[in-house]
Order: sequence, then structure tokens, then C-alpha cells
Amino acid sequence: MSLPGNRTRVLCKFFAHGACLKGEHCEFSHDWKDPANNVCTFYQKGACAYGTRCRYDHVKVPQRQASASSSTYPYQYTLPESITSSSSPSSAIILPGVITELSATSRPYTSQTKSPWAEGSGQNDLIPDVITQSRTTNPADIAICSFAAAGNCPRGETCPHIHGDLCPTCRKQCLHPFRPDEREEHKIGCEKKHKHLEALKHSQEIECSVCLERVLSKATPAERKFGLLSECDHPFCISCIRNWRSSSPTSGMDVNSALRSCPICRKLSYFVIPSVIWYATKDEKQEIVDSYKARLRSIDCRHFDFGNGTCPFGTSCFYKHAYRDGRLEEVVLRHLGAEDGQTVIAKDIRLSDFLNRMRIR
Amino acid sequence: MVDFSRVQKELQECNRDINVSGISVNPKSDNLTNLIGTIPGPTGTPYEGGTFKIDIDLPDGYPFEPPKMKFATKVWHPNISSQSGAICLDILKDQWSPALTLKTALLSIQALLSAPEPDDPQDAVVAQQYLKDYQTFASTARYWTESFAKTSSLGVEEKVQKLVEMGFPEALVRSTLEVVGGDENMALEKLCSG
Repeated sequence: MSLPGNRTRVLCKFFAHGACLKGEHCEFSHDWKDPANNVCTFYQKGACAYGTRCRYDHVKVPQRQASASSSTYPYQYTLPESITSSSSPSSAIILPGVITELSATSRPYTSQTKSPWAEGSGQNDLIPDVITQSRTTNPADIAICSFAAAGNCPRGETCPHIHGDLCPTCRKQCLHPFRPDEREEHKIGCEKKHKHLEALKHSQEIECSVCLERVLSKATPAERKFGLLSECDHPFCISCIRNWRSSSPTSGMDVNSALRSCPICRKLSYFVIPSVIWYATKDEKQEIVDSYKARLRSIDCRHFDFGNGTCPFGTSCFYKHAYRDGRLEEVVLRHLGAEDGQTVIAKDIRLSDFLNRMRIR
Repeated sequence: MVDFSRVQKELQECNRDINVSGISVNPKSDNLTNLIGTIPGPTGTPYEGGTFKIDIDLPDGYPFEPPKMKFATKVWHPNISSQSGAICLDILKDQWSPALTLKTALLSIQALLSAPEPDDPQDAVVAQQYLKDYQTFASTARYWTESFAKTSSLGVEEKVQKLVEMGFPEALVRSTLEVVGGDENMALEKLCSG
């Protein structure tokens, strides 16, 4: 069992299910003798909606011990209510036998983990001790009741776990009374989610003026998006407005006054912003536009091609203009005095421009 | 491809308030690319009292391309060809927008009937007359309305009666008359052939 090196010897989940694509290069163990990491990550964060029905182990894993992984067990299990006081690692209650009993199905080879003392003393005697111990430790280390956090705790008042405070937005008892950072994080995230859902609900009703269908009820998921016009507030689905703007102009049709203008109010807009939700206020629209532009600014421009090409949009391009070494394109504007005395910004001047104008006599 | 689900929606929408607008759009045959629209002549104009039929052809690109519309009923109007029924209207050409519908286009045509634009004519003869001798223009337009836009709507019951007496089922007679635009001889020909 003892393997050389400090590698984490946790059984690979993919290997356990029959196939791991990484094969020999997998960072996890492909040896059935090694234990599987069957710890519920949600439980570690404080709340698992599945409660006792969760197929992963609801045990608390002390961070520090989890990293020291040269032993057979990469981490030491303690019971949920038992809290290892951070200053003295010796007080950690290691119950290999108990854990084996709890999750025997998840680990096929466990013969060596059954320690005789655990069997002899009997786990039932141990648990009350653990619980009494927890009363004296820092309440911030205790996870809140996951049933209450998910919406309803069947044990109600008699529940041995602490119930979180009610979140004003989601109306669930998921605010940990002793972890202020986590509370704030949840509140902010929850409010944001709530706002998004409200906006989404409101957006369900909005129809595209071209296909006359509800945008968010269209057939394919790719079509269920709005195409916002920068200059006016008329709703279209992204496919309709893009279709219209990219359709070839018929004879006599002016691109700016017909295709690039809003089909309803004919106000000229230079770009379309895709969005899953429809905004209610100007600020919300601005937010959508800004996040869209920020997203594009992180993508390298295909035309600029790290300085190898030229982008027809120049400085007004929404995409990133950066060289291979990460340097951004420097914008140098050349000011020229025009004939009427005004200053104009010169575009690229090529020698061919002059040569074309020359007449050979 | 024509967006048929949109056309279907448009037809429903248009026929819902038919009593208010007087404008209707109906499919000419089974496929939805050939339609026939009807608009009442606007009151206070020489076209008052007439019912005008308009042939509508939907191009493949509809609604991103304008529908092709022309008058099936003969009309005396500076912007409508007295021979072919072709309509000179910007929204049916370069000013088309996909947010316009068949109904709004027909409404625009109705508005065109009440406000002719003789400076941008489709039919030069009519436009000349409109500018030089409005009285004659108005009486000609009224006469054309009387003789082409009314008979088909007024005498419809008589024609149905006549054709039914010949031994054709009434529903078929009505639909055939609708398709040929109310012409009883053409309807008879169609009934006999098909």
C-alpha cells in the first residue's frame, strides 16, 4: 500500500467507472486497493441539498490534513459534528472503522482499514462523545443543517444541527450565523440570481417584431436570444435582426437608411448586442452592452492577427488588438491641417494612392 | 424559404379585426405564397364604396424581402398602372422593413389611394390628367370604381346563385369565385375544367 513519493493516492473516479482516458498519466490512482475520494464537496461548503440521501460522504475533511497525503489515507475522516480544533491536530478523532461502515459500498477493498479497536469499542458509544465535544468548539466551524438550507428540515425544533438564518431573497435558512463572509457572499449572489430570474421572467413575454414569435420560446436554443440595437429599444430576436442586417440590399436600397436602421423606428444603429434577457431600464441595457464589449475585448481580432494583418475597423474594433508578446497596439493618430483650416485625422496613406493619381504623359 | 409561421400569424391577426379595418388577406390556393388582399376604397375619395383586390406574391426571402403586390382590380390612380395594376410605393421597394406586415402594407396602399403622388407617377397618363384636369380625373376614377370595384362585390350572390343553378356545389362556387377575383366567366371555366 505504501507508495513512493508524495502523490495523492486517491482512487480515480473514471477508473472506478471503467474507463479513464488519461491511462498511466492519470494523477489519481488506478489501484483498486486505494480508497476512493467520496467526500461531498457541497457538504464541505456548508450545505448539501441532498442531506442524508446524498450518495457522497457527509464528513468534514480538515484542510491541513488533506494535503499531507503520504499515508494510505490522504485525509482523515472525522464525524460531521466533531470539530478538530485547529491548534491541536492530535485531538482529531480518526475513526477509520466508522467510516468504513458508513461508506462500505463505495470502497471495494477495505479489509486492512478495519482497526480492531474501532470494532471492539463500538461506534455507537463514540458518537455522543463527539457531539458533546462539539459544543465547546468554535461555532463558525460547525456546518449548518443542510435540510433547513434546502428549504425544509423534518426535525424542526428538535434538530441537533444549527439552522441557518433566513435569507431575505431566496427565503431559505441558508445563512450561517457565525460566518459573516459566507453570509455576505450568499446574499450578494442570491440577490443577483433573483434579479436575473425576474428579468428572465419579464423577458419571456417579449415578442420579436420580425418573426412575431416570443423570442425566448423559439425552436432552437441558439435562437432564444435578443438582439439589442445600440440606439433604440425595439425588441428583435438575434437571428431575425442579424438576418435583416446581413441581407443583400436590393436595388436602390441604401444600406445605412434601410438595413442598418431599426426595422420599426428606422433609427440607425451600428451594432447589435446579443442578450438572453431583455432590459427594463437604461442602466440595465448599458450593463449588457458593457459586458458584451468587455467579452469581445478579451478575444484576439482575426483581422489584426497579432499585428500580421490590418483590421478594417481600426481603432473602433471591439476585439483585442495585441501583438504576440502581449503588447497592445499603439494608436497613433496623425493630425493634418485640411484646406479649410480644420484639423482632420489622417488615415493610412499608401504610396499607391499617389501613384494611382499620377498620369503618364 | 418564406417564414410560413409568420404568414399564418399575420393572416390570423389581420382577419381578427376585419370589421374595424375592412382589410382582409386570404390564401389564393393551398400554399401560402400566393395571397389575395382586399381593401375598401377610402371615404371622401373617388374610390369610396369600391372593394379593391390586390394580388400578393411572397418572395422566398419574405419577410426580409418585400412582398410583391399589384392591383387585381382595375384602378384609375396616378401611382397605380391602369394597365397592369403595378403599384408605385416606396415601402414595397427600397423602404421595406421586416417589421412591416401584409396588413400594414395594405394600409399604406389604402392611404396611397386617398393621397396620390402625381409627381412620382406610375401611370403617366393618369398623372397628367390628375395635374391638368382634376375634375375629369375624379369622374374617371369614380366611373372605374363603379364599374370594376363594385360589381364583383355587389353581384356576388347573384353569380353564386347562377353557378349553383348550373349544378356546382355552393362552397366550391364561392371558393372558385374568390380565386378568380369574382369573374363569373373565369369561374365557370375553372369549374368546368377542374
